[in-house]
Amino acid sequence: MLKKKLNLWHVLLIIIILGAIFPILFMVSNSFKTLRDSYGTMLNLIPLHPTFENYSLLNKQVNLLGLTWNTFLMATMVTVGKLLTGLLTAYAFRSYQFKGKMLIYLIFVSTIFVPFTIVMIPNYLVISKLNLLNNIIGVALPQLCDATGIMIFLKTMEKIPNSLIDAAKIDNIPNRKIFFNIVVPILKPSIVSVGAIFFINSWNEYVWPTLILKDKSSFTLPLALQNYISSEGGTNFPLAMALSTIMVVLPLIIYLIFQKYILNSISNSGLK
Amino acid sequence: MQNKNKKFLPFLYLLPTAILLIVFLIVPILYTFYLSFFDWNLIAPTKEFVGMRNYLEVFTDPVNQKVILNTLIYIVFLVVLNFLFPYFISLIVKFFISKMQGAYKVLFFIPSLFSLVVGAMVFTWILNPVSGPLAYVLKNVGISMPNWSNSGILAITVICFITNWKVFGYNFILLLTGLGSIPKNIIDAAKVDGIPKWRLIWNVILPMNQGIAIYVLILTIVQGLQYVFTPINVITTGGPYYGSSNMIYQTYLNAFVLYKTGTSSALAIVTFVIFLILLFIEIRFVERKAKNYA
Amino acid sequence: MKNSKLKKILLMLGIMAMAVVFAGCGKKTSASTVKHITYWHVNAQTQGGAAVDDLVKKFNDTHKNIKVTAKYNPDMYKGLMQNLQSAQASGKVPDITQVGWAYDNYFASNFKYMTPTDAAKKFDGNNKFIDGNFTKRTLSFAKDSKGKLVGLPYSLSTPVLFINKDILSKYNIKEDSLSTWEGIKEASKKIHDQSGKYGLYIQEPGDTWAQQGIMLSHGADIQKGGKAAFASDNGVGAYKYYQEMVTSKLALHTPWAQGMDSFVKGDVAMAFTTIAQASHIKKSASFNASAIAAPHFEGHKTVVPVGGSMLAITAQDSEQQKAAWEFEKWMYKADAAVTWSKGTGYLPPTKVALESSAFKDYVKENPMLDPAVKTLDNAVPWTSFPKKGLQAEQAMIDARDKILSGSDVKSTLGAAQDKINAEQK
Repeated sequence: MLKKKLNLWHVLLIIIILGAIFPILFMVSNSFKTLRDSYGTMLNLIPLHPTFENYSLLNKQVNLLGLTWNTFLMATMVTVGKLLTGLLTAYAFRSYQFKGKMLIYLIFVSTIFVPFTIVMIPNYLVISKLNLLNNIIGVALPQLCDATGIMIFLKTMEKIPNSLIDAAKIDNIPNRKIFFNIVVPILKPSIVSVGAIFFINSWNEYVWPTLILKDKSSFTLPLALQNYISSEGGTNFPLAMALSTIMVVLPLIIYLIFQKYILNSISNSGLK
Repeated sequence: MQNKNKKFLPFLYLLPTAILLIVFLIVPILYTFYLSFFDWNLIAPTKEFVGMRNYLEVFTDPVNQKVILNTLIYIVFLVVLNFLFPYFISLIVKFFISKMQGAYKVLFFIPSLFSLVVGAMVFTWILNPVSGPLAYVLKNVGISMPNWSNSGILAITVICFITNWKVFGYNFILLLTGLGSIPKNIIDAAKVDGIPKWRLIWNVILPMNQGIAIYVLILTIVQGLQYVFTPINVITTGGPYYGSSNMIYQTYLNAFVLYKTGTSSALAIVTFVIFLILLFIEIRFVERKAKNYA
Repeated sequence: MKNSKLKKILLMLGIMAMAVVFAGCGKKTSASTVKHITYWHVNAQTQGGAAVDDLVKKFNDTHKNIKVTAKYNPDMYKGLMQNLQSAQASGKVPDITQVGWAYDNYFASNFKYMTPTDAAKKFDGNNKFIDGNFTKRTLSFAKDSKGKLVGLPYSLSTPVLFINKDILSKYNIKEDSLSTWEGIKEASKKIHDQSGKYGLYIQEPGDTWAQQGIMLSHGADIQKGGKAAFASDNGVGAYKYYQEMVTSKLALHTPWAQGMDSFVKGDVAMAFTTIAQASHIKKSASFNASAIAAPHFEGHKTVVPVGGSMLAITAQDSEQQKAAWEFEKWMYKADAAVTWSKGTGYLPPTKVALESSAFKDYVKENPMLDPAVKTLDNAVPWTSFPKKGLQAEQAMIDARDKILSGSDVKSTLGAAQDKINAEQK
């Protein structure tokens, strides 16, 4: 009886996974199809006449290395910025009592609730005044702090026993050292998993970069996709899928490397 | 020295964040608020002061009313798809299966690695109601697929599914993390006492996990409404006749397609107010700890 | 041990981020006698992007004193206008730019530009270039509501009816029966009744270009004396036809990309859309595809709005303007214009290029272009309302969407017309 139930859950979960994975297989499959076959053999998940044509064409039409590099730099800047500001801010809240703490905390947290549309136009003007249009720094700059990070770090820091930090303070260890040698290591799992998520989200970002990056040479990978969805000349679907496939390689590698951290941080803190 | 440090240090730690927030968030919000009282096309040298007219338009214009209603529909769909569904699955993975937990976690997260532009492109292709692979398969079984891009509610459904594809794994992991942080001894104790699982979940686990759950819930709404922007932009551009537009997209449409920055800003402010109400709820339930700081 | 490792990683990432900041700041500055000009275009890699790069490279190779940098603007002419808005706000406008016809008046009243007439007078001393290359009809496309020439026509397109010959011959439909919308309806009925497939798809992008063509070919005016006039009996009649086709499932109603995919897949027999789609259809379709001239209603003649764009000089400095003008003139040389046309699927704008043997050979290889070239003689300027033109276009799009989802044609068109005219004082 119990066994049967267990199996049924597995069936449900596997169906969900198939639903989630199918579009990905479809994407990869189409990236190896010719344009004609992408229409003609829609139901064949394995290409009838597999071809690398799309990839070599892509390589000719856009600067893949440059695009990847831009995307990487942008995502790195955003991730590092968010991690540092997040850790510092959370540490301040964790370790100190000061005037207006509650208010400041609330203001920080409430930034999650700011729709991007409300800051879109003014931020564009600021970035252009700073002469950072067509520059990935212009994309990264307004995104260097993130309340989600602050909240997650703070929640984890609150689990650090006071005695540990008090002991360090009694030993006259400077705050900087407490932060780097005690707090950061304890937070390592969340830093890694939050950082990985920041990086991947930033890697895939679309809306805000489209406003800042107008020059082909400054494009990130998602923006380069726009090249292939021009409806007036028709959409080249297999080419777009080839670019999409290339786009996901690094996030996938990062995920596979840090996946253990992410999963460990889950299972370590809980039950089996 | 210790004392001096203590007063000075926390603000030093807060400084980078504070500067970034003031420059890129607080001042821009105030500027948008200012713009919401003017009629301006983004480049004309002069702005015409129109008082409350833009706000009046947000609430009286039938298109905007439709968009506000759509936003509510989006919220309902997003909560069901991106919150309740992953929560349910995370409970199952945590408590009802013993094997392959690791594999599920790894696999569920994979779509989160993709850009929404990619998701939007792949799904429009797969779901093309006349000529997509799904339509062909259904046709073979004798079912004709509804032309979802002609129906606001169906378009909203498809768009929400696309974001669900991307967000599911992320929310699943977050909720699972929450469930994982529940002390093991409580669950062990329940096991020893022979309390049935569903009762354990209902009476113990869910209340204990309430904090993270409400956090994810609110996040689902606030971020979900922004996530759907990309598929709307790529697939329907808000159509049919604003049927799949929401307040975020409408704000963009007014600002960058119609160049009505006034209406756009007013819409943005109203959206923000709605989000603030959600924030208030969040604080009431999740940040109870914050009271300790007061 | 592990802690210091993490610290190192964080430190390294920090340094890297800093390095990037500095690298970004240390931008090159070079001063020389070479004039640098920027050219803004909308041509994605799928549609002429490579041709633009090609032309710019050729020009730069042959002109040592001018260096052109081409910049692609995503999201077509709308996207380009948005970028131009933003550029104006930050003070960095391009020197020469494409402007879509629908943005003609909007561009003219919001941006600073040099008219081709002024450029010719100032730099050539005569009007030969303009008169020698363009017909009166072609020039009329690029005039604003006051009759002033804003730029020079660069890309021309007309709508054509793409047909799936396999389907048509299977159901015994003769091509010449498709020269009228009435004939198309009959053919669609035949196809739909026997195969369940759709007969027709009419493009539905973020403009009403094709729909205006249908109304014009029913004897309607889109505007009259600067005021919207499409809600006339003829306009209403055209839309009623369209609505009925959709509600009786003879015509497919869906966004543009999906609709074209369905045509290419062979689920729709005919597609009324821009000639720019020709090469995509040729490359993707597994059936015998062809094109015929835009149809008209019985008792009326074919009239279509022209699509595409013009080139406008936005440079402010006289030297820059001169360089831009030189580049522009070079782009209209017959072989450059034909390269352009091949790359984009648009029709070349000049008389010389249209009659060049290079283009004629090209049409021979791609017979789908033939009806589009012929339709140019029936083309009129794309309606661009003098005031709040973008919102006027949106009102027409809204009307289209409403009608296709079943709203009453007469009152919907009437309301849209009133809305537009309320702004045109």
